[in-house]
Amino acid sequence: MLFMKKLISIILGFILLQACHTEENYTIVPTVIPLQIPSNFPEIEYNLENNPLTEEGVALGKKLFYEGRLASDGIISCGFCHEQASAFTHHGHTISHGIDGNFGFRNAQPIQNLAFFSEFTWDGAAIHLDLQPIIPITSDFEMGETIPSVIQKLNSYPEYRILFENAFEDAEATTERLLKALSQFMVTMISGNAKYDKVIRREGNVNFTNLENKGFVIFKNKCASCHSGALFTDKSYRNNGIPFNKKFPEEEGRKRVSGFEDDFYKFRVPSLRNTEMTFPYMHDGRFGTLEDVLDFYTDGMSENGGKIDPLLTKQDGSLGIDLSQEDKIALIAFLKTLTDNTFLNDKRFAEF
Amino acid sequence: MKITNYIAAFFMAVTLTACTSTDEEITGNGNITLEFDNAFSTSDLLLDTAPYKGNETEKIKISKVKYIVSNIRLEDKEGTIFTYPKNESYFIVNEENPESQFINLFNIPSKDYTKITFGIGVDQEKYLQGAEGQGEFLTKAQDAGMVWSWQAGYKFFVFEGTYTSINTPDETAFAFHMGSHGTALDNYKEITLTLKNSARVRTNATPEIHIVADIANVLKGTTKFMLDDTAQIHVNATKSPQIATNVNGMFSVDHVHN
Repeated sequence: MLFMKKLISIILGFILLQACHTEENYTIVPTVIPLQIPSNFPEIEYNLENNPLTEEGVALGKKLFYEGRLASDGIISCGFCHEQASAFTHHGHTISHGIDGNFGFRNAQPIQNLAFFSEFTWDGAAIHLDLQPIIPITSDFEMGETIPSVIQKLNSYPEYRILFENAFEDAEATTERLLKALSQFMVTMISGNAKYDKVIRREGNVNFTNLENKGFVIFKNKCASCHSGALFTDKSYRNNGIPFNKKFPEEEGRKRVSGFEDDFYKFRVPSLRNTEMTFPYMHDGRFGTLEDVLDFYTDGMSENGGKIDPLLTKQDGSLGIDLSQEDKIALIAFLKTLTDNTFLNDKRFAEF
Repeated sequence: MKITNYIAAFFMAVTLTACTSTDEEITGNGNITLEFDNAFSTSDLLLDTAPYKGNETEKIKISKVKYIVSNIRLEDKEGTIFTYPKNESYFIVNEENPESQFINLFNIPSKDYTKITFGIGVDQEKYLQGAEGQGEFLTKAQDAGMVWSWQAGYKFFVFEGTYTSINTPDETAFAFHMGSHGTALDNYKEITLTLKNSARVRTNATPEIHIVADIANVLKGTTKFMLDDTAQIHVNATKSPQIATNVNGMFSVDHVHN
């Protein structure tokens, strides 16, 4: 009798255990993945504690990044203006066109290494990566949508219910989850495998050519006070003496965000990573080549209604940076060592 | 035996008197309602109707008044502060939507409260938490038109309409949108108001704090705003903080219903 009781309880226990075990199989737990930070890079600024990277979250973010239905016309996705081959800029576009053929007045910036920044866009209009996508999604000349409408749309597509369930253990799309997934994908978009990085990290037997080395020395002397560190920007806003563009009279630079007169025509010092591929250059994409950019710094700067950065004012009070023709050739050779083909071809970020 | 009975009776009596002679011990939690009643000087605020008197000859017709109320704290007469849970402490008051003018707060410790503090807008701390921190408030704010589309930030205060004046005979649009300017300028400000009679929160009593917001103060407060000078103020390093101060000055507690 006692033996029977024992046997029954063992069987019951076994069934219970089995039940638990089966249940476990049905619970989808997102797979946490580590973020690989290049050894020559600083710490990331993005707080992963609030939004841990998961395989499923990143996958959802990637799908959303290339999702035209985030826009009111069903076409203009993030990836529309941020193309991988151009380091996620809008290839060949001075400024970008959005819904209904509307134009903005700024050049699309590359999407790379955003985890290392806490302010975004040319004027710092976004101060958290999660909240940055609100601007293009809701802007009339970009995607022309509203977040509540995007959420409603996403909840109506069965494929997204599965993806949200996988990433957040809940099938419902919410603003928080939409923005977190986009951030997860963007956080993984790290470009730190250019020739420059390999030289700096002493990887393999990679060395600069003589010309690149000459360019690097010039760069350190004449460019690196603003384009500093592994990210090639000190993240500041500066007025670089770019002539006022009459085509866009509403452009005020950083002043638009801060409201301070002193910030008129100041723009974020852009990173130079993959700069070979991110043409055209400057906030309005006015320069088509790196040669044009360097010619501007030697001969093209002018008063533009704002306060031009003292670092770009010579001792005699004139504007510009002194560079010879040979200097420019060497500088450009160096800048091309910042091209990261691994990043530009990384399948993890590719639309197809 | 009898003596013990007497003693027991005596203690009972003492205990009973203790209970009745001092304040009853208040326990449990209750709720409180804040009513934000928008006015213009001494009149009720009506949208798209009456022209109200602005400064000098300016006459204004108001089409939108919306603001974010946040980080609500209540102080009792002993000075103990109860902070409403931060994640649930963000609301949008919209003149177009009467429901939005009543903010219901739940699970407030039963006490007599004598002061209320709240912020207008969204503090940087909350903002910098990213998607996690905004939760569904971001969706609500977008629905209510309280998020800018050209910068990723909240509009703390929206005031729109048309005006005429001796210099501007034709109805001309005006709009004040006030918020923080990225990391450059923080326009989030808090206000503390003393309640004329205390708000007695009990498990079975929900007081209502009736707050009047005098919108005229936006134009006529610490800084006077002539719409003829600037009819559109969105991001202005000088004027936006002045608007924030005027907005803060527009609130007063009219009364508390217990």
